[in-house]
Amino acid sequence: MRIFVQASSLLLFTALFYLATYKLPDWLPADVYLRLDPLLGLTAILAGKEIIGRTLWSLMIVGTTLVIGRFFCGYVCPMGVVIDFSHSLIWGRQKISPLKNETIFRKTKYFLLFAFLIAALAGISLSYFMDPLPLLTRFYTFVLYPLAITLINFFLDLMRPIFHALGWIGLSHRHYSQPVYYMAIVTFLILAAIITLSRLTPRFWCRYLCPLGALLSFISPLGLWKRRVSQECNECLKCQKACPMGAVEENPKRTHLAECIQCRTCAEVCPQEAITFPASFAATKASGHPTSAKGGEYSAIDFSRRGFFYSAAGGLTLAFLADRTPFTPLKGRYQLIRPPGALPETDFLQTCIRCGECMKSCITNTLQPCFWESGLAGFWTPKMDLRFAPCEQNCNVCGKVCPTQAIRSLPLEEKTNAKVGTAVLRKEMCLVWAQDKLCLICDEICPYNAIVFRTVEGYRRPFVIASRCNGCGFCEQRCPIQGDSAIIVVPSGEIRLKEGSYIKEAQKLQLEFKPDPGDDKFILEESGFKVNGGKKEGEKILPQEKTLAPKPKGFL
Amino acid sequence: MKNFGRKITRRDFLKSAAMGTALTLAGRPVFSNAKEEYDLVVISGDPAAATRKALEVIGGISRFVKKGQRVVLKPNMSFPKSPEVGCNTHPLVVATVAQACMEAGAQQVLVLDNTLNNPELCLERSGIRNACQSIKGVYVIAVKDRKFFREIKVPQGKILESVEVIKETLDTPVLISLPVAKSHSATGVSLGLKGLMGLIWDRESFHSKYNINQAIADLATVIKPQLTLLDATRALVTGGPGGPGEVQKPNLVIAGMDPVAVDSYGVTVAPWYGQNFKGRQVEHLLVAHQRGLGKIDLDQLRIFKGKT
Repeated sequence: MRIFVQASSLLLFTALFYLATYKLPDWLPADVYLRLDPLLGLTAILAGKEIIGRTLWSLMIVGTTLVIGRFFCGYVCPMGVVIDFSHSLIWGRQKISPLKNETIFRKTKYFLLFAFLIAALAGISLSYFMDPLPLLTRFYTFVLYPLAITLINFFLDLMRPIFHALGWIGLSHRHYSQPVYYMAIVTFLILAAIITLSRLTPRFWCRYLCPLGALLSFISPLGLWKRRVSQECNECLKCQKACPMGAVEENPKRTHLAECIQCRTCAEVCPQEAITFPASFAATKASGHPTSAKGGEYSAIDFSRRGFFYSAAGGLTLAFLADRTPFTPLKGRYQLIRPPGALPETDFLQTCIRCGECMKSCITNTLQPCFWESGLAGFWTPKMDLRFAPCEQNCNVCGKVCPTQAIRSLPLEEKTNAKVGTAVLRKEMCLVWAQDKLCLICDEICPYNAIVFRTVEGYRRPFVIASRCNGCGFCEQRCPIQGDSAIIVVPSGEIRLKEGSYIKEAQKLQLEFKPDPGDDKFILEESGFKVNGGKKEGEKILPQEKTLAPKPKGFL
Repeated sequence: MKNFGRKITRRDFLKSAAMGTALTLAGRPVFSNAKEEYDLVVISGDPAAATRKALEVIGGISRFVKKGQRVVLKPNMSFPKSPEVGCNTHPLVVATVAQACMEAGAQQVLVLDNTLNNPELCLERSGIRNACQSIKGVYVIAVKDRKFFREIKVPQGKILESVEVIKETLDTPVLISLPVAKSHSATGVSLGLKGLMGLIWDRESFHSKYNINQAIADLATVIKPQLTLLDATRALVTGGPGGPGEVQKPNLVIAGMDPVAVDSYGVTVAPWYGQNFKGRQVEHLLVAHQRGLGKIDLDQLRIFKGKT
């Protein structure tokens, strides 16, 4: 039963992940797992000091946990499922041996939780490092998704002759473009470490480290269903050995209520059938003292005031270290292009939970995770790698899937006006400027006619009209020179709004991003060019001095 | 032929001899019931209706498609833009031809193009996938990986020695080219011959490495569509090949078996970049003509003009 629920949850998580791409229907909240995560919501709200609509979905998890207990970890959490399944896959039914000094280890997750919360209060969001949902989503995006595409294409290639022979045209031509990401190895190593830790003791991560589990365990003891051990118990300690969370104490009648994830493994293994999970309203007292309710004996979270102060200090230290670097005052001055609709940089860093959904959903693969480009506070944040791929005009899916709306969900027209930067021509590298060669690729590819040609020294040369450029990067990507592009998008002129309309803002700034037929009459004047960089024949060839109607390239 | 029967002038003799020769050449049983043979069929009207009429006048699609054959259609669907922009073949032109092929008993119809832009978006925004969706046996595929291409030699190539072409085009007996009429910043216009570049893998080298006009002619020596049906219902007269640009509406569909002739007529249907041109003024067409790939002078062609 539990395995079934877990498998369905993982399947749903995977399905939603798969669906998070162009063209995501408006009604489908593909990011729902991340929205449901109360820790992400809480830290984003604390860090940004603002309520974020989508994160209120997590109240559902808070509510159900209040009623049922810490079921999330045992049934819903896809990371829990991955840990459980990979454990039984790799090590089978390993004998459970709790770590020495377990109680100290157990506290680690509370320390982490408080540290993250305090850091968030100080304005630095760090919980994404260890929150299981963004952690797993990241792994899916940067590792599993590219791997899956590779395998699928491999399989399709293998089967292709068969499909072809059978006349299955669709399948015999199926091919998926391979997504690639920076940071794949870092992301992989973290998940590998989490799974490997289970070798020490099952669900090591959940027991000792998971800050989301810690948060839920604060409210779960209020839940209705609690483990109760009847007098039939012969203290064989089978339940204690079987409990994946180590929630059964030395005295098997007693339960660490905060740790219990309601998996009911104990009830299954009990030879005396002495263990039940009846509903009971009596709550435990919020102290370290054992309490009893309807025959059950429980102990609450053991978290001292001293522990709280330590973790608060730790959180503040982390926040200090992450924030007090030149990256902070330099915000926006780096060559970092954020996705269209990204909040102003400070808010963006506070709100972004680094789940990687935007990068998964990006149809062109231009969205890539940062490593150190904006310091510790910018790990895994999305940037646009425009030399690699441009931002597609007709796509606005990155904002749609952002669970905390660090990238605002915008209608297409708003997104078009959410300028991410401005193209700058580097004349010393440009074939036309530096070598008098004929090239007009940037102009041809520009969707907004932001590049025009003017005659300079007898040659038609490209210029960028900044007020028409929204930074989509087609020019940078297509520039035919080797290595770095001769036309690059820089963040200068980007529009980052916390709220309100990008269209209005663009109008105010007198910007216009319109697919414009433009004026390519210059093609008619191309005799002004000398192909292959020959010396120009003086000023005579200036277009306005021509008497004969010149012809476009390709015509005789 | 008012002197017919009495006194045969040299001119009359030549005329009837030419006609006789043409009829003999054209007199294959499949279309012997066609009254007259045309080099070009030019129909004005809606995309779908004009296409249907053009196919009918040229002798029916069954001239080209036999029962049980696989057919490749090559439209232009390289850009993720809607039909009004004029840079892709009109979806109804494609769907009408595909439907006709299936009705003629084709086994399967493959609508193929190596799209310049994101394949998914091109298929969606061009409207071509949607238009063909309901026709059973028709597959619209953007071919974007090298494994689907095969290298062939270009024995008559002046500058191209070999070229990688979509395998399916090489393995399929029937190729019908369905270009759209548009301007092009490198070749002046992009019609049928230029459109065939959508069947090869490395077109970048046509632009950067070779003289593109020669390369297009070389390509035309190895890729020979049985039928070219040019969609000039709209003509993107500036801003080509990708647009946006000025779109004019000649409302024409031009069909013919000679790709140079079709293109040569296509040049005349609209002013390009504000000027009128003839086929001979388009370098790649002239080169192709000079190399014996087709007729370029319209006054030497038998042209059917009609309306729907």
